[in-house]
This record gives sequence, structure tokens and C-alpha cells, in this order.
Amino acid sequence: MNFLKQLLATIIFSLVLQYFLPWWTLMLGAMAAGYLYGKDGFAAFGAGFLGVALLWAIASMILDAQTQSILTNKVALLFPTKTPALLLVLTALVGGLPGGFAGLTGAMMKRMTAAG
Amino acid sequence: MRAIKVTLSLLLSLMLAYALNRSWNLGVPIPPLGKFLDPFHGYRQNAETGASRNLELIIAGLKNQVVVVYDSARIPHIFAKNDEDLYFAQGYITAVDRLWQMEFQTHASSGRVSEILGAVALDYDRRQRRLGLVFGAQNGLSSMEKDPVSKMTVDAYTAGINAYIATLAYEDFPFEYKLLDYGPEAWSNLKCALLLKSMAQTLNMGDKDLEMTNALKLYGKQVVDVLWPDQEPVGDPIVDKPSAWKFKNPLPDDIPLAVPNEMIASRPYEKPSPEVGSNNWAVSGSRTASGAPILCSDPHLNLSLPSIWYAIHLNTPGHNSMGVSLPGSPGVIIGFNDSIAWAMTNAQRDLVDWYQIQFKDGSKNEYLSDGEWKQSRKAIEVFRVKGRAPFIDTVTYTHHGPVVYDESFHAESERTHYAFRWIAHDPSGEVITFYKLNRARNHAEYMDALDYYSSPAQNIVFASASGDIAMRIQGKYPVRRKNEGRFVLDGSLTSTEWKSFIPNDQNVADKNPARGYVSSANQYPVDFTYPYYVTATSFEAYRNRRINHLLESSSKVTVQDMARMQHDNFNLRGAEALPVFLPLLDSASFTPAERNAFDILKMWDFYNNPESSGASYFFAWWRALMPMVWDELDSAHVAMQYPTAYNTIHLIKNLPNLSFFDLVATPEVENATEILQKSFSISVQTMEDWKATNKAEPEWALYKDSYIGHLLRQRALNVPVRSGGGTAVVNAHTQTHGPSWRMVVSLEKSGVRAIGIYPGGQSGNPGSPYYANMVDPWAKGIYKTLHFVTNPADLAGVKVSSTQLTPMQ
Repeated sequence: MNFLKQLLATIIFSLVLQYFLPWWTLMLGAMAAGYLYGKDGFAAFGAGFLGVALLWAIASMILDAQTQSILTNKVALLFPTKTPALLLVLTALVGGLPGGFAGLTGAMMKRMTAAG
Repeated sequence: MRAIKVTLSLLLSLMLAYALNRSWNLGVPIPPLGKFLDPFHGYRQNAETGASRNLELIIAGLKNQVVVVYDSARIPHIFAKNDEDLYFAQGYITAVDRLWQMEFQTHASSGRVSEILGAVALDYDRRQRRLGLVFGAQNGLSSMEKDPVSKMTVDAYTAGINAYIATLAYEDFPFEYKLLDYGPEAWSNLKCALLLKSMAQTLNMGDKDLEMTNALKLYGKQVVDVLWPDQEPVGDPIVDKPSAWKFKNPLPDDIPLAVPNEMIASRPYEKPSPEVGSNNWAVSGSRTASGAPILCSDPHLNLSLPSIWYAIHLNTPGHNSMGVSLPGSPGVIIGFNDSIAWAMTNAQRDLVDWYQIQFKDGSKNEYLSDGEWKQSRKAIEVFRVKGRAPFIDTVTYTHHGPVVYDESFHAESERTHYAFRWIAHDPSGEVITFYKLNRARNHAEYMDALDYYSSPAQNIVFASASGDIAMRIQGKYPVRRKNEGRFVLDGSLTSTEWKSFIPNDQNVADKNPARGYVSSANQYPVDFTYPYYVTATSFEAYRNRRINHLLESSSKVTVQDMARMQHDNFNLRGAEALPVFLPLLDSASFTPAERNAFDILKMWDFYNNPESSGASYFFAWWRALMPMVWDELDSAHVAMQYPTAYNTIHLIKNLPNLSFFDLVATPEVENATEILQKSFSISVQTMEDWKATNKAEPEWALYKDSYIGHLLRQRALNVPVRSGGGTAVVNAHTQTHGPSWRMVVSLEKSGVRAIGIYPGGQSGNPGSPYYANMVDPWAKGIYKTLHFVTNPADLAGVKVSSTQLTPMQ
């Protein structure tokens, strides 16, 4: 249950922050979500990772669909990924990793303050 | 324990954020992955749908409202109330579509590419500074700002670009900034000057002085004159009116040569491509179906994306002009207005000299001039190389110009220093020319506008709705003595310097010639009675004759006829060479593949059409032949330049036993016939290899394999093109160069009508449907109608988007 809550919160917080601020502020959102709902380390990392990865993948898919991947088709060739599908995976990964670590950090902060 | 874990996790997160927020160079450059792939700000924000957008923007710095209507080709039609607003809007609107390109080109011109791409570009950058590009642009800028009209124009244009830059946040940055991880800096008037200088570099920096000097040392004057004659016995000069020149060259007829003691080492930079050239012509009403003059233009340049040209329509009360502009320079460069049309081809003229300098000592602080030691000037050039400490270079300037190569730069074998004198180092007033040309109403006003023009020298064709046609070869040309400029000169004698320039009214020009047309295609400019000495790196020998032949044999021409003529694929070089070459081959010794190639060449109609394989076989043969004929020049291992294609064919025909036909590498003594046979066999072998690799018949379009390349030379951003044409063909499309703009203008009294197209698109954004949308129609010979109207309402039928610029109250 908490996993789902953290996942949703990560998506919402990151989306709101990211919408107005540079990309790395997503980490603050993911950290806050981890702090509020994160429990054990692996799950907190997973929810943070999955939350941002989903957010980035879905937003990217919407933009690509709207523009018929006009630019993604070219960028995919600039990367070793070569295909738009792999570029999408890379996008999710690049968003997910900092999301996961921020979620983990948030959850650990919570445990530290709770214990303290 | 927990605290340590938290700290560790936090630290890891921060490191990750840092790593993904910056670019890296791990052998290959990696963009800042987090920033770049973030869908909310990264590259996906640059993807566009091309849907209609009607913007209303409040802009500080405007006087009145400006209306901009984009038509279906995304050509902006700018309607302003006054000149300042017009050029402000031109700057703003051009930057919307082309900001990255404008800035990158001026960075390239001023030797600042290493700031973006790192140390790989440092050698290129140093060369640009050492050739004096910035020095020339600063001189250009000071004259640009001296004249009130040109200052107003450039100030407003610059302000418009900067107004656009000020609106940009990271997510709005053009794609390439995101890819390379940097951002736009403020535009300046100097950048406008730099852009014009880079055009001058492309068009007017050709020279072969060092190469000719080596040839003179190795072979002597007699051989030099046979291999590299000043005038080839061919062609229709652009202006042919023998004995009509009523003035004299005031200088003596000869100049002392300054041949150095040693050979000049390999030239360390790429020369301007010989494929840069152009066609233009104007046909008088007596030869057209409508009775109105028709003007045609197709400038041939390195075809690149974002496109070289940006089509635009500029309108203020009393002024209405349309055509193509250069992003980074105000006004219309090639185009038309309500009364006239004009277009350029490159004028082939030697506007570069190299002066041998005698420095007093290694410090290069003083050099000899007429027996006295003169003080040199040292310019300190700083290069802010990405990922490295700044690099500092010292360039020595003499009164001739900069010493390009010295101990610290490409010193390969040089002990002698040469100062570089280039016409584009001088102040000049091109902005005034275009301001006036855009508004000119007749021949007299065209002539007046051209009086301000000095560089790069151009053949500027003209036609007017009132029925005149004209040509003027305008530029600032030093008055030269015979042979002056062909070889390096003695820099210690002021008597060898440029003493004066040809007065404007003595430049080659023609108006309403009896033949009913004017044309230019980079050939020799004028008949032999012209009093001034004319020399250049080379003159085009084929396109001009084909164009004049086609014009001569036609009457009652229409706009469609002229458009077809711009796509003429007849290969005159092939038509002249093969009837000489083929009978010389020994067909008894042919392999089956050679027999097949021989038959294809024999059957070839000399048209470089996309499906022609004869064109491919001829091209391959030619490419094998030239290095075999001129192997002596390559094996000299110093700076050398091959004689022209025309002259090579001429020598094969007329001097088949010339010693140059001997192959250096073989003990036998070959003549032209044997060279033809050998090069033919080699070329057939390369064609067989090509067929095996590509598993296809070598039809010309496939074999030529043309593409329009992105400025960053990234394959993924290039666009392939299937087309015919080629070198020495009117449709001059080679693999990478060709007609960068095609325009046909009919100057009818009832209104000027025009069509045009270029191989690219109005948007410089690889994520826009307008990035390369004109490439296909361009290759197929289709044009866009240029909607030349007088008010925005007339564009209702073709309007896609609009932008309204409203002054801030």
C-alpha cells in the first residue's frame, strides 16, 4: 500500500516541481515522497525509480505521439541506442535512477528522524 | 550508523544529479543526459507539429505594430510601418527559426568553435584568427556604423535578435544548444559583419599564389603558362564588347617576381571548394512569351542544414521586397521588389596576395620595407577551449596583413614568412547596397546601390519591369600589373603593393546588349580588350557556354522554360572529352567489364540524369584520370594545384606527348593515350567494386549519393537527396554542393511574379516539419510560388500562422 502511495506521490510531486523548475528538482519531489511513505530501503528505491521512470516515459510518449517522433527518430540515431524504443528506455532510466536514490534518501531520513 | 547511510545515499543522489546535468567527453561527446532527455525541458520540447499558431507578442523597442504572416512554406511576410521596425522584426523572426545557425556560423567565422566543440576545433579556430577574419569584420563594422542608414539597419536587426534571445528559457533553446550543452549569447553588430566576412571567405578567398610559385620554381614560366594559362582559349566572357572600354590601366605592364629560395610547404587548410559557383541570367522582353524580362538565379554553395538561405518578404509603406536573406544579415540578398530583380554569381577574381616578409630577427618585431625597419603589430588571440585551459596565440601583423603561418602555426618546413593581404580585410559598405537594392526602382538606382559594394565580388544581374536587363561585375579590385597576384610578391618593396583600385565606373558592366540576354556562370569576365589585367584561381569553362547556347537557341521563353533550364543536366565536359578519349582506347584488349563500360559510355547521351549510368562511368574515369596525369604535382610534396579540367582535356587533345603524361612511378614513358587506357581500366575496376558493394547498377543518382549535411556533420541530422546534375553542368548539384536557391522572376508591368525553392526548409530546427520539407520538391524540379503581395489580407488563402509584434506601452 505504502509502495503505491509513494509511487503516486513521487509522480505528482516530481511533475509539479519539474513543470516549473529544472529537471533535477524531481529529486526533491521523490525525496519528499520517500520521506512521507517510504518504508524499507528496496521498496523506497523502487517506488522512487518507478515513479519518475513512469513519469518521464509517459510524458515522452505523449510528446512523441503528438509530433510523430519527428525529433526522437533523429536523436535515437545520434545515440548508440539507435531505435526510438531504446531511447525511451534510456530516458526512463535516466529519470528513474535519481528518482530512486532520492526516494531511498527520503525514506532513510524518515527512519533516522523517527529513531532519533 | 543510520546517519552515515543517509549521508551516503544523499551524496550518491547529488553525484548522480551532477553527472546527469553536464556533458562529458568519453572519447565521444555525451550530452547532459538528465537535462537533455527530461521530457519537460529537454530535446523533446523542440519537436513541433507545424500546426497553425497565432501569436501576439508585446515587445519593448518597437515603434509601431508589426504583422508577420507565415505562408504554407513558412515564409514570413513582414509588414511594418517604418524601417527600424522592419529590420527589428526581421532580426526577431529570423532568430525564431535560425538562432543556433546564426550564432554557430559567426562563431565559426571568428574562430570560436573550440568553445563549443573543444580542442578538436582549435587548429581551425587559430587559422580563422590568423587569416584575419575578426580583423576584417572589425574594419567592416566600423564602416557599417559610420553610415547612418546602415547603422540604423544593423542596430535594429541586432536589437530584434536580442529581443528574441531575451525570451528564451532552457526549454526553448534550439536543439543544438541542448545537444552540445551551451546557450546563446547576445547578438552584436560585429556578428553581422562576421557573417558577411565568412561569405567573403567562401567566395573570394580562392588563390593559388603559393602553388603557382612552387610550380614556377620547379618548371619555369613557359610550362606554367601552358599548364595554368591566365586565359583558356574557351568560353563566352560575361561581357563581350570589344573596344568599348574608353580608359587605360595607369600602371606599368609588369611586376618583378619574388621567387623564394625554397619550396613552400603543403598548405595546411582546405581550399574553398571549386564546386562553389553559380548561374544567373536575365532575358529581355524581346525573347520572352509575355514580353516582360525574366531573371533567373541559382547560387551554388555547400548545401547545408539549417539552410544557407532564409526566404523572407519585407514590406513598409513605399517598399516591398522579397527573396532570400542570409540569417545574420539584414535585408534581402537575392530577390526582387515591385520594379526590379537582382541576383548574384561569384566573380572570379584574384583578391588575395601573399607578401614575402623579411623580419629583422626571431622576435618578428621589425620587418624590412623599402630599406627601413618597420614596426610590426602583435595581436594576442585568446581561445576559450571547452574542457581545457584557454589557449593563447600571438599573431604578427604587418601593414600588408597578418602573417598566417609561422614557427608556432604549421611551420612544417617554412623558413620564409608570408603576410596575407585580402580584400575582405578592408572596410566596406554592403549593408547600404542591400538597403538601396531592396528599394531600387530602375537601372540607375541599381547602379547607385552597387557603388557601395566591395566584397565578396559578384556578377550582379539585373532586370526591371520597365524593360531593362543588365549585368555588373561589382567588387573592389586592385589595379594589377600583368602577372601580379599569380605568384608570391616581395613584401620588402612598397612598389609591389596594391596601389589603387579600379574605379566603379570602369568595372565590367553591360546594359541591354543586342543579343537580348545577359548571363554569368563564373567564367572569364570580359573580352580581351578590357584594359585591366584579370586573373583568378580558375574560370568555369562549361556552364556559361551551355547556358548561352540554350538562351541563344530559344525564343518566346516562359517562366517554366527558364525553370527547366535551371535543371538542365547536359554534361558539356563529357560531350567534349569522350569523342576525344574513346577512339584512343585499344578496344582489342578490353576485359568484359571494360567492354561493357565502353559501350555504356559510347551510348551515353551526355545528360547527367538521375538514372544515367554513363554519367557515373564518366565521373569515375575522370576521377581516376586527373591524379594520373598530374602525379608529378602530388609527388613534389609541396603545395601544388592541378590545372583545370578544361585545360587537361585541351592538353590531351593537343599535346599528347607532354612530359606530364608520363607516370612518375613506372620506368616506361607514357603518353596521353596510355594514361587514358590505364585510368579507364582502373575506373572500370572501381565501378565493378561499387556494383559488388552496393548490389545495384551504378545509376548516377545512386552513384553520386548526394545529401544535405547538417552543420555539425552528424549523419543522423543529414537528409539524403536523389537527383541528377553535377560539376560543369547547369544543374550543378554534386554530392555536397549545388543550387542553394533557385529563383525565376517575371517582371511584368501588371505585377512582378516569382517562383523559388531551396534544398532545405525555413526552420533550422531538426524537430520541425519545416526543417527539410523543400528538399524533395527541389530535387524534383518543383518550385514554390512566392506570394508577393502588398498587404496581409491578400495572404488569407495561404496563411498558416501569424505573429503580431506590438510595442510595449
